Amino acid sequence: MSQGNFAQFKLVLLGESAVGKSSIVHRFVKNTFDDMRESTIGAAFLTQSITLPESKTTIKFEIWDTAGQERYKSLAPMYYRNANAALCVYDITSKASLIKAQDWIKELKKQAPEGIVISLVGNKSDLTENREVEEGEVDEYIRQMTEDGSVIITSECSAKTGDGVLDIFNKIGRALPVEEAVGGNRSRQAGRRPGGVDLGRTNRQQTQSSSCC
Amino acid sequence: MPPYNNTRTERRKSMAERRPSVSYTPPVIPHLAGLEKPQDHSLKIDQCDVLIMGTGLVESILAAALSWQGLSVLHIDTKSYYGDSSSTLTIEQLKKWCMEVNLGRIPHFQDAQIYIPGGKTTNKFNSKDYGIDLSPKLMFCRSDLLTLLISSRVYKYLEFQSISNFHVFENDDFNKRVTSSTTKEDIFTDKSLSLLTKRYLMKFLKFILQDNSDPDKKKVISDNATTPIKQFLTTRFNLEPPQVNELVYSLGLCIKEDTKTPEALAKIKRFLGSFDVYGNFPVMVSKYGGPGEISQGFCRSAAVAGTTYKLNTTLTDYDPELKTAKFDDGSRVKINEKIIISPTQVPKFLQSGYSEITDNLPVYNITRLITVVRRDCKEWMSDQESSAVVVFPPHSLPTDNIHTVQVIIQNGGSGVCPEGQSIWFSHSTEPDLNRAKTDLEAAYEKMESALLRESSSSDLDDVLDDTDFVVNARGNPVVANSFKLGESLQNFVPKETLDVVCKLGYVQKTYIKPDLSNVFHPDETNQNVVLKNLADAANDIVFSNMPSSEISYDGIISEAKLIYQRITGTDDDFFDVDFEDEDGEEDQSYATVQAHKPSTGAIVVNDDHDMSLDNENAIDDDSDDGHKPFGADEMEL
Repeated sequence: MSQGNFAQFKLVLLGESAVGKSSIVHRFVKNTFDDMRESTIGAAFLTQSITLPESKTTIKFEIWDTAGQERYKSLAPMYYRNANAALCVYDITSKASLIKAQDWIKELKKQAPEGIVISLVGNKSDLTENREVEEGEVDEYIRQMTEDGSVIITSECSAKTGDGVLDIFNKIGRALPVEEAVGGNRSRQAGRRPGGVDLGRTNRQQTQSSSCC
Repeated sequence: MPPYNNTRTERRKSMAERRPSVSYTPPVIPHLAGLEKPQDHSLKIDQCDVLIMGTGLVESILAAALSWQGLSVLHIDTKSYYGDSSSTLTIEQLKKWCMEVNLGRIPHFQDAQIYIPGGKTTNKFNSKDYGIDLSPKLMFCRSDLLTLLISSRVYKYLEFQSISNFHVFENDDFNKRVTSSTTKEDIFTDKSLSLLTKRYLMKFLKFILQDNSDPDKKKVISDNATTPIKQFLTTRFNLEPPQVNELVYSLGLCIKEDTKTPEALAKIKRFLGSFDVYGNFPVMVSKYGGPGEISQGFCRSAAVAGTTYKLNTTLTDYDPELKTAKFDDGSRVKINEKIIISPTQVPKFLQSGYSEITDNLPVYNITRLITVVRRDCKEWMSDQESSAVVVFPPHSLPTDNIHTVQVIIQNGGSGVCPEGQSIWFSHSTEPDLNRAKTDLEAAYEKMESALLRESSSSDLDDVLDDTDFVVNARGNPVVANSFKLGESLQNFVPKETLDVVCKLGYVQKTYIKPDLSNVFHPDETNQNVVLKNLADAANDIVFSNMPSSEISYDGIISEAKLIYQRITGTDDDFFDVDFEDEDGEEDQSYATVQAHKPSTGAIVVNDDHDMSLDNENAIDDDSDDGHKPFGADEMEL
């Protein structure tokens, strides 16, 4: 596999309603922004890949939106299961949303698998005149969390202008255990494992696809 | 929007506290995740078309079907977890669940017992490592639910694993009849069988795989509509008891000796028709839990389509004139169409009405014994697999059981427990609860002794230690302490018992008949609670059913459609949705590991092998080449 490696990871979104979780993903996946969009994504999950030039690795993100189930704290265990990364989003114009994002980080510590890469992201960085959350506040929180042994990636972005969006996913990609996933430890990889059945293909289709090997 | 009503909540609590049963506080139950700090205390919606109470499998499919059709759905659950009666729970959740059952707070369940041997030091486990299904099920590779899982894309949230090993217990021993190397035809051409028996079996195979519209076959089936299958197979096909047992209980997964011929034939064909769809195995289980996991998948799909979810919420009142529902969080929501209520979540104010509806319905018991053992039970499973099925046919146990005991075994590889352990899910439909319990215990003992026997004779490392071996010059180990390997080895090994992490028993009641006839033909029997009306609630309220005793997912879609029809007037547009293909969704660059390479020498016995998977948008199977659930006189084989 000299021309590059491939790894797939599951990424979950968390944060208060209306902070722009879905918008960030739409900017990342489709490079669009829709002010009026509904708060749901009409698909199972979205996928987008990035390439890390230094390790010649392509990382495919399988991105799970909350689909509104976070609103009344009704996310199912399935949501957190095998998540490799989490995007905890707040709105820089709302201090309350930062506190909520911190609550979600606590929740992740309880529910999510060990070693999950957590990213705390301030959205709506274009609305500078309404800023309520100063970067210093976030730094202070991160300092405390680091003392407790947690590593959290921070960034700000604007899903509206696209500023900083790709950067978030690049940072996460570099923090993910890519070597492990590529090196055959499939347990960290969001995908089908040995003994699993791919329901997308019937036996006949599988025969065809496996005939080459 | 009604204001959050504090006084109402307080008054309700104090009333509850006056009940003596509430004074009991569970000692070691940790705070359940999701209970604390809800983001919004009360519902921020004014109205919805349909309110569904209970996030069980049928209700979850219903929520997804309704919301993809454009109806606004509010889906709540009185519990803090998804799944209701088909939930997948941790050990700590099960402890609490058992206490609630025994306090009468979870109707239709009773006699819950949980046994966790030893203390914190001798029996160390992490509760969250376990996912124990309250009503475990097997997924046939050709079934209507599987077709829906694929067309609705819900399968993308799930992982399925194959099961190819089916063991039948007879003559005090386990016979592995179907294994990973078995093809559909192998079952009928076992080398150990006499030529004559083989001929009879092939004759039966030819008969059962024949098209049902064949007039001769139709006649045979209608002539034998009430003939017990055992008699049918013995007299018409000259089959011997071992073959009958295998066909009826291992392949057919029938629960009684007197199972009628049409039902049993449909069930045997269900098994054979599920071979070779994805490989040489007829059934699958979903990883991390069965119905509980699938419920979560459909709830997520429903949420994507716009359903509002709120766990930990109870309906406290409903005004049929104003069509207003009130909840324990103080909120009020106008209900435009109907309210669907799971039998475990019937609110107090509706309990007498629910009793009136259900009082004269026959009740069926399902008794379950679930044991978590510190053994991976690999002996019983096929390579690469993590699950197996064990069946105890009628009269095979020392208790002379009348009903079959069916057991699903899953080890750490299926994500329901840690590696090196396994969960034995056994159940019986015996109506006499004492008998049911002794049958299940007897089956457990048989499995325990068989496992210990097999592992001690096949795995010498357990008996012999390092000092028992010397290595010869060529590097091969030679047994030095040879007297240990005498014939009496089995007796020599001290009688050990399995190391048990947790043992759980309970009884569940249902109004669904074991043959599912009141699901498939609700009108004829008029014995399905879904069709009953609660007169004093202006017929706005529909009750759903408890899970059936059926080990497969058969009947689930029919149940969901039946309720759907009550709400919308028809089930024609049930999940009639086109999902656009997403960009880059199919990624060929990462390989899919299959359980088994498809067999090359398979005889093609019928030509309707393929499910219509090529067209993922073909959602309903009305057309249809998908497996229809069996029905006593339906015979859509």
